[in-house]
Formats: sequence, structure tokens, C-alpha cells
Amino acid sequence: MNHPLPETGPDRQFQSHVADGHLWIQHCSDCGGAIFHPRVLCPHCGSLALEWRRASGRGTVYSRADLIQKPKPGETEPRHHALVLVDLDEGPRMMSRLPDVAPEEIRIGMRVQARIAGDPGEYAVVFDPEEAAE
Amino acid sequence: MSGLRGGAAIVGVGTAGLGEAPGFTAMDIQALAVRQALDEAGLALSDVDGLFCANMSHTFPAISTLEYLGLRPRWIDGTNTGGSSFVGYATSAAMALQAGLCDVALICYGATMRSGAGRMVPAAEQPTYEIPHKPRYPMTAYAMAAARHMAEFGTTREQLAEVAVAARGWAQKNPDAFERDPLSIEDVLASRMVMEPLTLRDCCLLTDGAGAVVMTRPDRARDLAQTPVYFLGGGVASYNRAVSEMPDLTTTAAKDSGARAFAMAGLRPSDMDVLQLYDAFTINVILFLEDLGFCAKGDGGSFVSGGRIAPGGALPVNTNGGGLSFTHPGMYGVFTLIEAARQLRGAAGARQVPGAATALCHGNGITLSHQATAIFGRAETL
Ligand SMILES: [Zn+2]
Repeated sequence: MNHPLPETGPDRQFQSHVADGHLWIQHCSDCGGAIFHPRVLCPHCGSLALEWRRASGRGTVYSRADLIQKPKPGETEPRHHALVLVDLDEGPRMMSRLPDVAPEEIRIGMRVQARIAGDPGEYAVVFDPEEAAE
Repeated sequence: MSGLRGGAAIVGVGTAGLGEAPGFTAMDIQALAVRQALDEAGLALSDVDGLFCANMSHTFPAISTLEYLGLRPRWIDGTNTGGSSFVGYATSAAMALQAGLCDVALICYGATMRSGAGRMVPAAEQPTYEIPHKPRYPMTAYAMAAARHMAEFGTTREQLAEVAVAARGWAQKNPDAFERDPLSIEDVLASRMVMEPLTLRDCCLLTDGAGAVVMTRPDRARDLAQTPVYFLGGGVASYNRAVSEMPDLTTTAAKDSGARAFAMAGLRPSDMDVLQLYDAFTINVILFLEDLGFCAKGDGGSFVSGGRIAPGGALPVNTNGGGLSFTHPGMYGVFTLIEAARQLRGAAGARQVPGAATALCHGNGITLSHQATAIFGRAETL
């Protein structure tokens, strides 16, 4: 028999959970592992018993990179596009940005707090420095 | 000991269209590299019955290749693990040859990224949860690995620059190399910062180019035109596609692929005479020297300092000039095999490592996503 499908796919589930403005991630009911990116099975143990939980949103910058591009026509300063990898306190790592922090201020090891940005159905997780978030 | 050790040999290698090949397609220059590899072996296209092929320009690379070349192979392996594919094929070709699935294995690649598309063509599918943040693949992954290595172990930009300078030193001895002008540590540090902490000179070239390698079983290899270069061991390892899924950005799966290759070969890092390590970015060489066991984790920066991997240094690495200075047509892996074969035949000209009897090739795929290692040796290492 064809394997039954969950009610919706994991990407849609993620979008509907984070619509409340908080970061949600999956947890495995069998091994307890925390999971990101969203999936239909646990990459730690293979279980299908996954549940969504609201995450603390807190994490630590694991690494960073800053793309430096030539200035736009009429501008003098180069354009920066800084990306980070954040280790969530719950365990998983995610790629993201710190939109309100100058690239040169982003430090490996700095504490950050998640924020949900973007439009419904296309939400993405960005981060702010932990102090500024509360 | 694995039956694959010594179970296959490289009998022909070829390159074509290195640098710029305007007006030619990937398939055109690939065909010329294939002809060169077969010609020097004393074999014909009609002898090839095993095909091992991947690229980024064709949806079905092996099928397009066999049609262009007029092959009707009885065994095809199109496993695409990125630029590491071709180093992985050394093991799968040895396996197919030993299993009798084919008698003459052709490993090939071609791309015209420089004159054709004019840029690095990223893969069609990219990680869903990274894309909204607009990463620049593949560089973002390597810049993040470099930044983490620097933060964790104190690796410096000068040490990264040593890798680029060593590659250029070798390239100056290779008439086929794309970049042969003198390059100093200061030049690397002063070059344009592309993605902090990597400058333009920390990044590989973007060229056209094609490469081909022909392998047979040893009995046949001994009757062919070139000194056989024996496959001694190989291994692959992979844990993740996206860099955000990589467990530790300072330790790659090369730790496992290398251990598997050394175990099959019955050899250790100290037994290796020359290394060909896929250097898409300077940090790669430091990571792979550590993960393959040539120095301790975190010591790669100091290990490469003082010209240790440059011409005249204690450990010759990327003797063709590597992806940094020789050629980099999007996927570089096949060129590690070609240079290893030339070194072990003693046919590497001004860049020849005297008496080289063993060589290690290491391929890296995608964004530190897949690692493949293969070890080769001359007849006396069997
Ligand atoms: Zn689990």
C-alpha cells in the first residue's frame, strides 16, 4: 500500500508555524533530536514521529562570510552582503543574516536572537544581536 | 587487502582546450582530450567499453558523451558528486574492470565556462533554506570554512596566501598553466577582497578545459605504450549537501575518504611522494592536508608556511599549479588524476618530482559536500 502522506508537506508546515512571528523547529518524539531543515523523517534515527515546537530562537554565530561587491553606479562605497551560520541553542545550524548589524561588527561566537522576516508563505529566519532583541 | 589494490592502472591521459576555447563546446574539447588519452595509450575509441562521466552543462552527461564519441559502452557510471566525481571514478572504474563489466574504462570531463557561459554556472537546485539569504555559491561555503578555521585555530590570511603562492610557483614550471606571472604573499593579500576572508587570489580560476583518463586491468596495461600507473586504493565520504548541514566546517569528510584510501593501499601519509588536492580555494588545501593526515587538525596553516608545499619544499602539492593557477573549468577532479599519472611516469617536465613513486589525488565536490581520495603508484609499489 502507498505510504500515507502527512496533512501537509514540511516546508508548508514550517511556513504556517512561523507565521506567529516565532521560530519553530521539529523535534523527534523517539530520539528527542532537534531537526532543521524541516523533513518528514528524523535524520538522527529515521523516525516518522516528528512534532513542531517553538524554539527559543537563541543561538550563537558559528561562522560568517561577507561578500564585497563593487559600488553601484553613482555610489562610492562597495556593497556588502554578510551571511552567517547560526547554531541554535536547541542544536541545529542554519544559514542566515543579521540585517541590522554592520558586516564588520559580526563576530564568530556572538549571541543572536531569531526574527521571522518576509511575506506570508515565504518567511525566512534572520537574526538580531541577543541584547537588542529583548 | 582489497582485490582492487593494483587491480587497475591508468594507461593514458589527455587534456584539451585548457584556458580558452572560444567557438568550441564542452563536448568538442572533451573529445580531443579523449583522443589524446587513447592515442598515447595506443588504444582506439572502439576499445572503450566503460564510460565514467559527469559535468554541469548537460542533463545527461554520459549519454551525450557516448553519442558524440560514437561509443556503445557496456558499463556507464554517471554518479555526480560535483568536482570530486572523477576521483571517485578511479575506484569505481577499478571495480568495474575487476568485475569484468568493462575492459577499457574512460573517465572524462569537459567545460567551456570561460568562453561559453562566461561565469561559474551554479547547480540548478540549491538548498531551500539557504536560498532566501542569497548566498554566492560555491564561495560562501569556503569563506565560512576559512573564517571558522581562522577563529578556531588562529590560521592567518598569510598562511592562506602561502597556498596560492605555492600553486603559482608550480604553474610557472607548467607551460599549460593559465596563470604564470610571479605571485607573492603580498600580492595575494593586496588583491581584491571578494568575500571576506577570501581575496581574488584565494579563489580558483574559471577556465575552459577538458581532461580524460583511460584505465585498464594490469595485464593489458603492461602491453600498452605508457608506463602503467597503478591504482592502489580509493575511498569516498559524504555527510551533507548544504554547508549549513555540515557537522564541522573545519573537518571535512576527507578524513574518512582518506582513511579508506590509505587502508586499501596499505600505505600512510608519510609514504606519499606527491599530492594533488582539489584547491578550489586556498583553505581547501589546508583542510585536506589536515583531514588526510599530513598534519594535525588546526596545524595546516603553519604546515604550509615557508614554502613547504611549493617547488623546492618538503611536500610537493598540486605540481601542475592546481585550480588556483593551472586550470579550473568548473569541475577540476579529473586533472588531479592526470597530473598524478604524469608525475608517476616521470613525464612532468620542469615540474617533475624526482623519483616520485606514489601519488595521492583528492577531489572535493560541491560545497565541501563530497570527498573522494585515490592513491596511485609505480610498479615497485605493488
Ligand atoms: Zn529521531
